[in-house]
Amino acid sequence: MSFNASPSPSLGLNSPSGVPLSTAGRSNYKDIYDLLERLCKSFTGAKSNHRDILRHVTQYISNCPSALGSTMPYDESSLLTKITQHLNATQASGTAHTASILRGSSGGSTNNAALFLNLNEQLKSSQLEARQRNALLTFLLFMADSKYTTENGSSSNPSVPPSFSRTRYSNPNAFLPPNNTIQTLRGHTFHKAQNSTPFVGNGGVSSGIYNSSEINHKISVLRQSNYQTGNHSGSENDSTPSSVSMIPTAASTQFPLRAGSIGPDPSKMLETQSNINDDIVQNVIYAFTGIPGKYLKKDVVSGKFKLDVKAKNLNVVQAGMMLRLAELGYYHDLVKSYTDTKSGLCALGLMGQGFISALRAELTKYYGMVALLQEQLNKQKQTEKGALHSITNRQERLTLMKILVWSVDPLQRLQLLAAIAEACQEKKGGALASTVHGFLSSGNPMVKNLAKELLVAICGPLYQMLTKWLLEGEICDPHGEFFIECLVEVGPDRLWHDKYRVRSSMLPNFVTTDMANKILVTGKSINFLCEICEDKQPVKGRDELRQCIEENAEHIFSAVADTKLHSTIDSIYLNTSKRVLDIVMGPHKLLEHLQAMRRYLLLGQGDFIGILMENLKSELDKPAKELYSYDLSSIMDAAIRSTNAQYDDPEILNHLDVRLMSPCDGDIGWDILSLQYTVRGPLATMLEPSMRIYQVLFKPLWRMKHMEFVLSSKIWKDQKCNSKPLRPMAAELDKVLYRLHLFTSEMIHFIHQMQYYILFEVIECSWAELQEKVQNAKALDDILNAHDEFLTTIKCGAFLDSNSGDLCHNMETVYEAIVRLEVWQDKFYELCFRELNSRKEFDKDVLESEKLGKFGVTAEKKLERDQEHKIFEQTLSSYHKSLENIGGDYEAAVRCFLLALNSNNDHNLQLFGIRLDFNEYYKKRDQRLGVPLTFEHMRMSNIYFNNSKSLLGSRIN
Amino acid sequence: MPSEIITLQLGQCGNQIGFEFWKRLCLEHGISPNGVLEDFATDGVDRKDVFFYQADDDHYIPRAVLLDLEPRVIHTIMSSPYAKLYNPENVYLSKHGGGAGNNWASGYSQGEKLQEEVFDIIDREADGSDSLEGFVLCHSIAGGTGSGMGSYIMERLSDRFPKKLIQTYSVFPNQDEISDVVVQPYNSLLTLRRLTSCADCVVVLDNTALNRIATDRLHIQNPSFSQINTLVSTIMSVSTTTLRYPSYMNNNLIGLTAPLIPTPQLHFLMTGYTPLTTDNDQTVNVRKTTVLDVMRRLLQPKNMMVSTGPDKTNHHCYISILNIIQGEVDPTQVHKSLQRIRERKLAQFIPWGPASIQVALSRSSPYVQSSHRVSGLMLANHTSICSLFERALGQYDKLKKRGAFLDQFRREDIFKDDLSELDDSRDVVDCLVQEYEAATQPNYLHWSAKKGQGE
Repeated sequence: MSFNASPSPSLGLNSPSGVPLSTAGRSNYKDIYDLLERLCKSFTGAKSNHRDILRHVTQYISNCPSALGSTMPYDESSLLTKITQHLNATQASGTAHTASILRGSSGGSTNNAALFLNLNEQLKSSQLEARQRNALLTFLLFMADSKYTTENGSSSNPSVPPSFSRTRYSNPNAFLPPNNTIQTLRGHTFHKAQNSTPFVGNGGVSSGIYNSSEINHKISVLRQSNYQTGNHSGSENDSTPSSVSMIPTAASTQFPLRAGSIGPDPSKMLETQSNINDDIVQNVIYAFTGIPGKYLKKDVVSGKFKLDVKAKNLNVVQAGMMLRLAELGYYHDLVKSYTDTKSGLCALGLMGQGFISALRAELTKYYGMVALLQEQLNKQKQTEKGALHSITNRQERLTLMKILVWSVDPLQRLQLLAAIAEACQEKKGGALASTVHGFLSSGNPMVKNLAKELLVAICGPLYQMLTKWLLEGEICDPHGEFFIECLVEVGPDRLWHDKYRVRSSMLPNFVTTDMANKILVTGKSINFLCEICEDKQPVKGRDELRQCIEENAEHIFSAVADTKLHSTIDSIYLNTSKRVLDIVMGPHKLLEHLQAMRRYLLLGQGDFIGILMENLKSELDKPAKELYSYDLSSIMDAAIRSTNAQYDDPEILNHLDVRLMSPCDGDIGWDILSLQYTVRGPLATMLEPSMRIYQVLFKPLWRMKHMEFVLSSKIWKDQKCNSKPLRPMAAELDKVLYRLHLFTSEMIHFIHQMQYYILFEVIECSWAELQEKVQNAKALDDILNAHDEFLTTIKCGAFLDSNSGDLCHNMETVYEAIVRLEVWQDKFYELCFRELNSRKEFDKDVLESEKLGKFGVTAEKKLERDQEHKIFEQTLSSYHKSLENIGGDYEAAVRCFLLALNSNNDHNLQLFGIRLDFNEYYKKRDQRLGVPLTFEHMRMSNIYFNNSKSLLGSRIN
Repeated sequence: MPSEIITLQLGQCGNQIGFEFWKRLCLEHGISPNGVLEDFATDGVDRKDVFFYQADDDHYIPRAVLLDLEPRVIHTIMSSPYAKLYNPENVYLSKHGGGAGNNWASGYSQGEKLQEEVFDIIDREADGSDSLEGFVLCHSIAGGTGSGMGSYIMERLSDRFPKKLIQTYSVFPNQDEISDVVVQPYNSLLTLRRLTSCADCVVVLDNTALNRIATDRLHIQNPSFSQINTLVSTIMSVSTTTLRYPSYMNNNLIGLTAPLIPTPQLHFLMTGYTPLTTDNDQTVNVRKTTVLDVMRRLLQPKNMMVSTGPDKTNHHCYISILNIIQGEVDPTQVHKSLQRIRERKLAQFIPWGPASIQVALSRSSPYVQSSHRVSGLMLANHTSICSLFERALGQYDKLKKRGAFLDQFRREDIFKDDLSELDDSRDVVDCLVQEYEAATQPNYLHWSAKKGQGE
C-alpha cells in the first residue's frame, strides 16, 4: 500500500471531499486533523478507542461532504449551543457506558461542555474560516450523536471484520489527514489505470501492484460500508445524513414498516418483515448487476427495470426506492453493452480495446462493491437464522435506504461511463480519443478524472504506434486508427511527397496540426533516410522519447502544448530533420543539384547554352521527325566539353540529357527539344514533382534564347557581313536596309530587355531568396517549399501562369515576327546577291568584249540587263512592303504587350513595361500608352485586346 | 574552344596597351607571368579559353599576335617577366626594323609587303581555334604602324574572314597637346576611313579624355603612359568580363555588340568607368558605391573616356548603352536605379527607336581585390562622338589646304598616282559625321533614304 504514503498533490486538491475544505489549503488539513484528534481524545479520554471515532470522523468527512455542506444554514452560536446542550444532556442522563468513559477520560473534570467550549476557542484561533468552523461544528454535533451509538455498537458488534483491525495496525498510514481516505480510493484507480496500460511496465511488477490495490480496494469498500452501518445505526431516525436536520419529521414516513411492525407478535412480525426486506434488498442487488428478480423486471424495449406487476406487497416508498436503485442496474447494463464486442456498439480498434478494458475495469470495481453488499446481506441472513432478534442486529441490517445512499457514487460514475461510452460508439483511434478528450474539459472534477483515466487507457496503443513511428518510421496500425497513414500503392519515388499523410479523421483533437505535421515529418524522414538514402543510423534521443512516454503518458493531451513530451517530440523532430538535411545537403548534394538545374535548365550557364544552340542549329532546323535524341546527346556532350560546363562535377553532368518531345505535324527540331535533368534515388524522391515545372519553364526560356540567337547571330551578323559586299548597291538598297536595321535593333532591344527581366530580375532575384532560405532551413520541407516557391515565382515572371495569357499571346506574335524577318532577310539577301552577281557578270562581259575590241555591250544585252534591273527594282519594292508588314505587325504586337504590361496588376510588370519603353518611343507613337493607369484605361485595354486584330489590320491599310 | 577571340597588337601604342591588357587578364584569371595557373586559381569558374589556349604542357598562352615595325616596345615586353607568356611565333617584328616613321602610308605599304608573313601567323592562330568569333585590334590611329599597318590588316581581315567580327580598341590622339607627329591629321583620317568601313565595332579611347581623367580625377600631375595604359587595360578587361565570366547573357562578342550597334555605320563606342583609382592612390575611400551611384556617375561626361567637347545645341543623344556592373549587386537595385535615371531624365535617347540602358551583371575576378563594392563600365553609342571626327576633319582640312607634308605620302605606292585616297577618306568620314548628326533627329530613317537617293 505504498501509494498511501505518496499521494499525488494534484489528486488531493481535486478530491471531492475538498468541497467545504478546499479553500483551507493543504496545511490546514493537518491542523484540522490534529484538532479533531484532540477533540476526540477529550471525548473519549486517552484510551485507544478514540482512534475509532477519529477514523469515523475522517471517513465521514471524506464520504459525505455534502452532509456538511447542507448544514450551512446553521450559525455558529446556535451550533455551539446545541452541542453544549447535547453534552450536558448526555452527562446528565449518564449512560453508564459513556459516563464511565468520560469519567475516566477527563481525569475528574465533570463538565464536558466547558471543555468543549474551551476547545472551540482553540479552534477559533486556528485561523479557519467561519464557514469551515461551522461545518466542523455541525459535524461534531452529528458525531456527538453517533459517537454514543458507535461506541455502543462497536463494543457489542462482532461484525467488524477481524481483518479490519489487523489492517489498522499493520498500516501505519491508516490515519493520515482526512483527505487521505479519498486518496486511498483515488490511488487505487490511479494504479488501476497504470495497470491497464500493460505496454508500459512488465507484467510481474504490475500484477503485484494490482493485487495490493485490489486488497486496498476491498478495504476501502469495507470502511465505507462500516461507516454506513455505524452512521446509520446511530441516527436511525434521521436516515440519510443529508436529511438529518432538514427534515427530521420525515423519519416516520420513511420507515412505515417499522412503525407498523409494533404488533402483538413482534418477533414473528419482525422475522417476516426482515425476510421481505432481505428479499427486496437481494432483488435490488441482483438488479445492480443487471439480473431481473422477483420484484424487478426488465423492460424489453428500453432495457430499463420496472416493477413486476405481480409484486403487490410493496408499498409506494419501497417501490419508488427500488425503481430508483434499479436505475443503477440499467446503467450497468448500458455500460456492459458497450464493453461487449459483439454488440456492435463498442469502440473499435486497438485503442477501442483499451477503452473497453478500462470500462471493464470500472465494472469490476463496481462488482466488487456489489459483492460486498451481497456479503453483508448473506451474513445478515445467517444471523437471522440464528434467531437472534436483538435490536442491535436489526440496526445493522441492510435497508433500501442504506443502499440508496451507497448507490449515489456508483450511479454517478456509471451514468458518466455510459454517457462517454455512448459518445464513443463505433468510434476508433484518434476520433475515439478526441471524443473522450472532449469530456476532459468538463468542469466537474469527477468527470474530468474519469475521462483522464479512460483517455490514458485509450492512448496506450496510440503511444505504442507513436513511439514506433517516431523511432522506426513504421506504422503498425491494423485498424487504421493512427493519425498518420501510409499509402501502400505509392512508390518510393513519391515517398516524400505523397506516401505518408496525416489522416485528419483520426487526428486526436489534443494533437495540434502543427504537432501532427512534425510527427509526420519525423517518421517520414526516418523512412526517407532508411529506404531512399540507405542511411540506417538510428535516431538520436530514442531512449529519451521512450522514457518520456512511459513517464508522462498523459502529457500528450495536456491543455497547453509545452510539456516534456511535446518538447521531446520537438527535439526528435529537429534531430531527425537535421539528419535528413545533413544527408541531403552532404552526400546527396541537393544544393548543387538545384544550382545545376538553374544553370542548365534555366539557362544560367550562358556559354554552354550559347554553344549548344549554335551546335544544334543545323540539326534543329530539320523537321522534328528526322531527329534522334542520341545525335543530339552527343552534340550536347560536345557543348559541355567545349564550355565551362566541363569543369562541373561529372556526377552532376551525368544527370543532364537532351529529350525530344513527341512531335506534332509540321514541328521542327526547335519545337520539340528540351533539356532534361534526370533525377534518381533520393533526388527523385525530393524533386520529382518539380521536374515537370522545370520542363514547362525550359521551353519559353529556350525559345527566348533562340530568338536572341536568331536576331544577333543570324540576322544582325548577316547584315554586318553582307553590308561590305553589297556596298556597291548601297544607293538602291539603303532605303530597305535601314528599315531592316532599325527593325532588327528594335527587336534586339526588346528581346534583350525581356531576357534581362526574366533572367535577372525574376530568376536571379528569386534564386537569391531561395539560397537564403536554404541556408536557414531547419527541415527538408523548408527547402522544398522554398524551391516550389522559387519555381512558382519564375512561372509567373516568365508569363506562364494563368493570368498572363495576353502577354504570352503577344510575345508569341513578337517571336513570329522575328522568325518571319529571318526568312525575309534570307530571301532578300539572295535577291540582292543575285542582282549583284548578274551586274558583275554584265560588267565583266563588257570589259571582256571591250578587250576584244568590240562594243562593250549589245543593245540586246543592254535591254536584257535593263529588264532584269527593272524586275529587281520591282521585287525590291515588294520586299520593302513585306518588310514594312512584318515591322508593322511586330510593332503592333509590342504595343499590345506594353499595354498589357501597363494595365497589369503586378507592379513589377508595370515597371518592366516602363523599362521596355525607356525612352518613350512607343508611348509617343501610341496615345493609349500615354494614358495614366486608371480603371477606365484598364477596361479600354481589354477592349483593345479583343479588337487588336481588326485595329491592326486597319492600321496597316 | 568556341567563341575564341584573337587579339592583334599593332605598333608602339597597340603593343603597350595590349601588354597591359594581358597583364590584367593574367592577374584576373590567376595565371602567372609565365603562363602557369596559380595554385589558388585551379578551381575557378572563369572561362579562360576565350583569350587563352592551353599548350601541351598546360601552360596558358594568349591568343595574341604582336606586330611592330620597330623593336623597342616588343623588346621591352620580351624582356619583362611576361616574356614567356606569349607564343614567340606570334611575335612579329619587321626585319627592316626602321618603323613606319609615323607615316600612315609607310605603315600601310609595309603591311602590304609583310602581309604573307603576318597572315601566316593569323591563319595559324585562326586554325587553332574551334570556332573563332572575331579579332580584337589594339592600335592608335595617329602613328604610323598602328594606323597604317593596322588599316591594311583590317582591310585584309575583312576580306579573308568575312564572317568574323572585327573589334578595335583605337587610341585617338591627345588634342590638348601639340603633337610631334605633324602628319597626324592625315594618319587619323586615313585610319578612320578603315575603321568606318572595315571594323564592326570600334571602342574609342581618347587620349585627350584619358589624360584629363588622370589629372582631374586621379590627381596625377603629369600622367605617364603606364598610368594611362592602366586605365585602358581596365576598360579592356572589364568590357570582356561577360565573355570571361559567363552568366545568363552577353556571353559572346556578338551578344555584346549587337544590341549596341543598330546600323552598321554607327559602331563607334565610348566608354566610361567608375570608380576610378590608381595603384598609388592611398586616399581614404570616401565614395559610397551603390548601383544607382555607379550608374548615375557613368552618365556624367567627365567620367567618359572620350572628350567630345561641349554640345552647344544639346541635341546629341544616346543610341544605346550597356552598363557592365560588377560587385555585390542585387538585381532589384538595378531596377530601382533605372527608374530613378528615367524619372530624372539623366540620359537622353534617340527619338527614332526604342532605346534604354541595358545592364549586364557580371562576376568579377575573385583574385583581384577591389576597394569598391560596386564598379561599372559603360559602353555607350553616343552621337556626340562625331565631334571627334569633325575635329579630325577640321585638322585635316587645315593641313590639306596648305598641301603640307604630302611628299612623304606620295613616296608610297598607294599615293603614287594621286591623292584621291585622302579625298575619299574625307568623304567617308564626312558621311559618318552626317550620319551621326542625322541619328539625333527623329527622321533618321528618311535621311538614310535620301542618302540612298542622293548618291
